[in-house]
Amino acid sequence: MKKTIKSIIRHLVLLFLSVVWLIPILWLFVTSFSGYKGINTSHFFPETWTLDNYAQLFLRPDSIVQYPRWFWNTFVIAAFSCIISTILVLMVSYTMSKTRFPGRKGLMSFSIILNMFPGVLSMIAIYFILKTMGLTNSHLGMIIVYSAGAGLGYLICKGFMDTISTSLSEAAKLEGASQATIFFRIIIPLSKPIIVYTVINAFLAPWADFVFAKLMLNSGVATDWTVAIGLFNMLGKSMINKYFSVFCAGGVVIAIPISALFVIMQKFYVEGITGGSVKG
Amino acid sequence: MKKKVLATLLAAAMTAGALAGCGNSAAETPAQQAPAAETPAAETPAAETPAAETPAADEAPAAEAPAASDAISTLIANTTGPVTMTVWASEEDQDYTTKLLDDFKALYSDVTFEITLGAESESTAKDTVLTDVEAAADVYAFADDQINDLVQAGALQEVVANYTYDVAASNVAGSLDAASVDGKLYAYPMTADNGYFMFYDSSVFTADDVKSLEKMIEVADAAGKKIAMDISNGWYIYAFFEGAGLDLTLNADGSNTCTWNAAGGTDVAQAILDLTSSGVFVDMGDEDMATQIAEGNVVACVNGTWRAETAQTAWGDNYAATKLPTFKVAGKDCQMSSYSGYKLIGVNPHSKNLGWAMLLAEFLTNEESQKGRFEARGLGPANSAAAASDAVQSNPAIAALAEQAAYATPQRVGGNFWSPAETLGQILASGNPDGTDLQTLLDTTVEGITAPIE
Repeated sequence: MKKTIKSIIRHLVLLFLSVVWLIPILWLFVTSFSGYKGINTSHFFPETWTLDNYAQLFLRPDSIVQYPRWFWNTFVIAAFSCIISTILVLMVSYTMSKTRFPGRKGLMSFSIILNMFPGVLSMIAIYFILKTMGLTNSHLGMIIVYSAGAGLGYLICKGFMDTISTSLSEAAKLEGASQATIFFRIIIPLSKPIIVYTVINAFLAPWADFVFAKLMLNSGVATDWTVAIGLFNMLGKSMINKYFSVFCAGGVVIAIPISALFVIMQKFYVEGITGGSVKG
Repeated sequence: MKKKVLATLLAAAMTAGALAGCGNSAAETPAQQAPAAETPAAETPAAETPAAETPAADEAPAAEAPAASDAISTLIANTTGPVTMTVWASEEDQDYTTKLLDDFKALYSDVTFEITLGAESESTAKDTVLTDVEAAADVYAFADDQINDLVQAGALQEVVANYTYDVAASNVAGSLDAASVDGKLYAYPMTADNGYFMFYDSSVFTADDVKSLEKMIEVADAAGKKIAMDISNGWYIYAFFEGAGLDLTLNADGSNTCTWNAAGGTDVAQAILDLTSSGVFVDMGDEDMATQIAEGNVVACVNGTWRAETAQTAWGDNYAATKLPTFKVAGKDCQMSSYSGYKLIGVNPHSKNLGWAMLLAEFLTNEESQKGRFEARGLGPANSAAAASDAVQSNPAIAALAEQAAYATPQRVGGNFWSPAETLGQILASGNPDGTDLQTLLDTTVEGITAPIE
């Protein structure tokens, strides 16, 4: 009896928490089907339902809402940043974890400290440096900014690689494998879970970034924007009453690539178990 | 993942700070560069032309027309290669501006233009422009309250000469004051309707009812409807205090002088409390208002021309607008004041095609364009001739604005005004829940408003 009561209380708490978490998302989702374009605070569920917001988003871009274009821009930026950052992180982690060279400890501490400074602090400096190179308002500039410092965030990945037994790489070395062979043939196949983690993180950061994008893409030209800036712009004072439900639709659609990436990557989480690779 | 969220939050917090810092540093940079800005102007043959023509045009008005067209032909002759320009117009103005840009290209078809149109709201133009003046658009629209900061930062080219029409002679006096700093004209007036007034549903109120706010509340109460105003917004709450004769002015250094806590101040605060205590006169943001008007809950509201369409759609033939009503302060009727505002078009002195940018700014604001803008979007023209046309005069919203103009003051206020005024508005609109002594409340507010600029 006592057990049942405890369990009920536990579940009530969980229910409450899940409601608190889910309500905003649910609201966003249902509002994206609203027939009324503005923000309507007097009803939770829209009074009229329509798919028109999604149609407008994709099929009828106007001079300020260029969603397909934003989506493509963001995707290109995020995809390239993701590839470059992942490669950088893996290379740095491997070097720090599996090789020994003078100054390694110092270099590690230095990069960790450097990585602790929030990137936004250097935002203005970065902006002016890129401006002198003519890279503001350019997606190439954005990719550079997002992926340049990625190597500093090696700590978690290195920690994972440390758990891969050194006897594996030593054995490979004895067989005459080069560092590249060890990296590609031994470490990478064993590091799948952390690669997944790195890829998702490296994709998410530019995909959802607003701050740098807003600073860098300042031409005001809608076709240059990323989704984050575009959606933000749709909430402007003069726009919100005509675009709010379209904004919600945009917010729902933006979750698709992330979810897809996660679903694809998730199976590697399960597969990548290092145990059993070393034979006693 | 949690860390990510934390990092994001941190990043957001930092950005707020960084952006604020960014605005300041950027504002200083161009100021230092201001003399340098003169250099391109002198080098560009296009820019030289109008400046050279000015004295001639000023001294001999008869010769103005040929001189001006000479200036344009010189400009065309001096242009080699395509003219690249960026124009910023507000989101709602995109369609109309696109049309104007096409007309502009057609008019000067000898020249190849590469004009990019960007979206930047007039109300936020200053922030974006000052972030990096050099990267800002060549021609941009902004609200007149930003002009001091823009001029200080060297983001506006002084209008020293005209190509196609005399800016100073064609626009209403108020708009020219708004476009000038220290007697020098820095921008081209575009619209003269950036103020607020009273919209109402004439099936609920008679023309007599809307003269006094107390009467309106009574009528709306009987009808079971609401009257809305964005009281918790400095821009609107100003109407009460200014209406009661209390002052708020801008000092030369960007700080404010404010006498809202002087004698009579508490009466105004009490009046606002009394008005809102009815539950009929409610504090409501602009977005909410749009919904509530459409749903028929709000039958009168204090708002500007941008809300005209919503009100017209909802109320149909009963749509009406008038000046703001009076309200009772210590038993005496006071006329509510308001801010009047203008939207202006400015030219960036860093423009590579300064001459063309100025010509384009003129084109976007000439009588024809202002008329067209009224027809397309219902915006009140700043051009005297366009404003005098019958169509403009018979527009209820513009007429109401004209009526209110007698009680309106131009918006000249420093940045420290907004958040203390907003807090005051929130407290008063919610009925002073803590029961703070009104004098103390006003003293705190005024202290915030008049705080020195660091």
